[in-house]
Amino acid sequence: MITAERKPMEEILDYISPFQRIILVGCNECVTVCAAGGRKEVGLLSSALQMAFMKDGKTLSVNEITLERQCDPEYVEELVAHISQADAVLSMACGCGVQEIAKRFPQKPVFPALNTKFMGASESQGVWSERCKGCGDCILGLTGGICPVARCSKRIMNGPCGGSTNGKCEISPDVDCAWYLIWERLKALGQEDKYEDIIEAKDWRPSWHGGPRKIIREDLVE
Amino acid sequence: MNFKKKLASGKFVVLAEVDTPKGVNISELVTNASRIKGRVDAVLIPDMDNGVMRMSALGGGVLMHQQGLEPIIHIYCRDRNRMALQGDILAAHVLGIQNIVVVHGEEMAKGDHRDARPVDDLDEIGLINAARSLREGVDMAGFELKGTPDIIIGCTMPSYADEKALDAQIELAEKKVAAGAQFIISPYVFDMDRFVAFMEKAKGLGVPIIPTVFLLKSVGIARYMANYEPGAHISEQVIKRIRKSSDREMECIRIAGETIASLKEIAQGVKIQTLGWEHRLPAILDQAGL
Repeated sequence: MITAERKPMEEILDYISPFQRIILVGCNECVTVCAAGGRKEVGLLSSALQMAFMKDGKTLSVNEITLERQCDPEYVEELVAHISQADAVLSMACGCGVQEIAKRFPQKPVFPALNTKFMGASESQGVWSERCKGCGDCILGLTGGICPVARCSKRIMNGPCGGSTNGKCEISPDVDCAWYLIWERLKALGQEDKYEDIIEAKDWRPSWHGGPRKIIREDLVE
Repeated sequence: MNFKKKLASGKFVVLAEVDTPKGVNISELVTNASRIKGRVDAVLIPDMDNGVMRMSALGGGVLMHQQGLEPIIHIYCRDRNRMALQGDILAAHVLGIQNIVVVHGEEMAKGDHRDARPVDDLDEIGLINAARSLREGVDMAGFELKGTPDIIIGCTMPSYADEKALDAQIELAEKKVAAGAQFIISPYVFDMDRFVAFMEKAKGLGVPIIPTVFLLKSVGIARYMANYEPGAHISEQVIKRIRKSSDREMECIRIAGETIASLKEIAQGVKIQTLGWEHRLPAILDQAGL
């Protein structure tokens, strides 16, 4: 999932302080799962903003709407009925959702309430960790299902480096060494020979250096 | 008089671009440079221009310094992060390179190492700021330097297809100057009237403007640029002039020389770019009366 965290209150207030009426838009997908921008968080932020405005002797009207998916124009369309009654939109989606709303309503100021963090997985209650950089050319089949691009601090393709100690990364004792994990996993699979293979210098073309990427599925295009 | 002093004096500075080799054979580079020694104020060394891997500008700049020519090196953000960029500026200074031009690096996707990962840690304005800060004795992390590099920082402006694009570039150039750029290398000049109009807008930037004169080399190149470089503004008249000449190569050199001569009255210098034809630089300088 795409993970996110709410921005500091001061920054959000800086964005919306010139306005009296906003739509606060949540998203029912990833940011709901990571407890950053779902219906519940929309309610909490709405109350906090209104209280902050009251403290300054102002009032803020907040229309709370949580869409099924903000990254999908079909659902963003639901805002059409409400947009004229708002001075601005505050989005609690990831950056994809914020941009979809900005695209659909070019005349309306749209602000992010979250910092989009990474593509990750839930480790335990309230803990999410980065797992994927979206490099466009997955090598998990070579590395025992553990990604050195996303999880090795040095992005080493043939590791580990000299900073790996007791299975931890030199960057912090709280960070696992990806190559230690890879080795352990390959051992468990009986695939130690894979570790002997040299992974060639990575081709980064499928990554984003050619500009924003796009997928076109001819079989689905109407 | 070195480049810095000449720039400050308001005199016309002549810069010639010389490219580093793809490899370690430097004989051509050294020979070409020696031919223009004493005839140009400085040589400008691109850093893997057009995204083509070759000897770094730092290496080329040191080499030019050793040959007795004043170097100006290109520096950009595609291949180095802020640590490497700052380290290279310090290294360049102690090795005899006092002048840098912050440029926009060609996209990796258009170069010859298309599978490489670009760095792009800073943008041009970020790098100009960083270079200025080094000159003031502080690195980007806020630490004081032991000895500060007294460098001259230049920047570039890309070619512009229309007035709207020019206005946007002038605005961006204002930011670059505010960040610390002390001179600007401006786009190709093929149309003097258009350049005069450009200067009307650019003079407000308050720093010396050094336009680029590009050696066209052939009808094919002129035609290609006219068709595919919307900012070049190469007229049919120019193409016709080259086509009708009995010595087309010489005609291109004459065109470049005449352009440079005309610029003496309008700009504060010229950058001569030949893209691989550095051996023709002396002939261009002859034609320009330099």
